[in-house]
Amino acid sequence: MIKAEHISKYFDKFKAIDDVSLHVKKGEVICIIGPSGSGKSTLIRCLNGLESPEEGTVTVNGTVLDYKKPNDVTKICSQIGFVFQHFNLFPHMTVLDNLTLGPVVAQKLDKAECEKRAVELLRRVGLEEKKDAYPSQLSGGQKQRVAIARALIQAPEVILFDEPTSALDPEMIGEVLEVMKELAEAGMTLLVVTHEMGFARKVASRVIFMDEGHIVEDNTPSEIFDNPKSDRLVDFLSKVIHM
Amino acid sequence: MELFLKIANKGTIEYMLLGAGTSLMVAIFSLFFGSVLGLVSAAMKMSKSKILRGIATVYVEIFRGTPMMLQIMIFYLCGPIFTKFLFGFVYTPNPIIVGIFAVSINSGAYITELFRAAIQSIDKGQWEASKTIGLNYFETMRYVILPQSLKRILPPFVNEFIVLIKDSSLLSTIGAVELLQTATVLGGKYYNYLIPLSMAAVMYLVMTLTIAHFARKLERRLAESD
Ligand SMILES: Nc1ncnc2c1ncn2[C@@H]1O[C@H](COP(=O)(O)OP(=O)(O)OP(=O)(O)O)[C@@H](O)[C@H]1O
Ligand SMILES: [Mg+2]
Repeated sequence: MIKAEHISKYFDKFKAIDDVSLHVKKGEVICIIGPSGSGKSTLIRCLNGLESPEEGTVTVNGTVLDYKKPNDVTKICSQIGFVFQHFNLFPHMTVLDNLTLGPVVAQKLDKAECEKRAVELLRRVGLEEKKDAYPSQLSGGQKQRVAIARALIQAPEVILFDEPTSALDPEMIGEVLEVMKELAEAGMTLLVVTHEMGFARKVASRVIFMDEGHIVEDNTPSEIFDNPKSDRLVDFLSKVIHM
Repeated sequence: MELFLKIANKGTIEYMLLGAGTSLMVAIFSLFFGSVLGLVSAAMKMSKSKILRGIATVYVEIFRGTPMMLQIMIFYLCGPIFTKFLFGFVYTPNPIIVGIFAVSINSGAYITELFRAAIQSIDKGQWEASKTIGLNYFETMRYVILPQSLKRILPPFVNEFIVLIKDSSLLSTIGAVELLQTATVLGGKYYNYLIPLSMAAVMYLVMTLTIAHFARKLERRLAESD
């Protein structure tokens, strides 16, 4: 459903993504791991049009993204959910309005209908009673669950997560991972940049290891964690597992 | 005291209040038109187009870099020549209308920078989140960026309003009957400037302090919803 072919992304002269190809298929749960600065965020941001690669193409549901038409890119990529490390909820709106803004304004759907769906989704992430709260009144874990619900209301076929638990206090990580696990079990396609190796091992169907803008290994979780092939992955795993 | 009562009679006070009303009206209209101009020019300044950015920059720099008095005089004294040259007609300028015109354009240059600073102070994650839920540029501005910027813009915006009330006194130089003008007219009539000018000062203070007071209240209310 998302296909990146030979994409490269430069920041000035610096090549953050170097000739990467990636095919995300329906129902897959892919975790991307790798050291800081290896280009994980940049890669998934290229997949939903937040960054535009200078080389290569990104195809979403059969349409090649044309960055000269930003409105078309936005429209196509709104079918892809995205959850940010720092939540990026709209602080001046209630939780309910955070969810309904996209469907009501961009898709011009009926407001009452959207609110009904929003409440259902909030129930699904366990936050129905917070629907009239403002983001500032929520804990980090609750904010991230709202952000997931906001992604879900777009009825996406795939959701991308950029380190969804890295900004959370340790005791809140579990509640967010739990919601993501339920999504995976319900058959949603997920692409997750994460440092949670336990989650990657248990929930992922495929793990990608990135380093210096390249995909170094792309394999099943058990192969990645129990039988790493490259020195760089061995080195990376020894560091994260000791930490 | 006797002199004060003689000058500060019902007629003169009414006359000066009318002048104060004109000053306030000039400030309100200029703030309104200046905001519209400022919003458009801020959007131009932040656009991708080099030409639009250039036009907005030239506008802001010219009107912030020259005295407002000069601008008012150019619009008032040279306006008819321009229209004759450009459109082939001459008009008799109304000082208040020309004044609002000039002050609006001047204020728009300052408000451009207010809007730009406030809009750019919003975290870029807000733009990105809006994009992922399918909002285009205008929808993002309208529903996400501007509502958050307005909160931040309120204090400097109120300040601009107060500045405009004071700056509207410059219109006395082109003969607009605003507060300062009424005071000088009365001063000439009674051969005493101290009393009418002091009365004008009090009226300016009442206006500016009242606005500042309500602004502080409003700010506190907005801060609570954070
Ligand atoms: N907007 C930008 N401008 C300039 N350089 C950037 C920008 N975004 C990322 N980079 C650079 O690109 C490289 C890859 O960054 P990226 O954020 O994709 O890494 P990452 O793997 O997500 O790292 P982390 O685990 O720290 O989030 C880094 O060296 C970073 O400094
Ligand atoms: Mg990152």
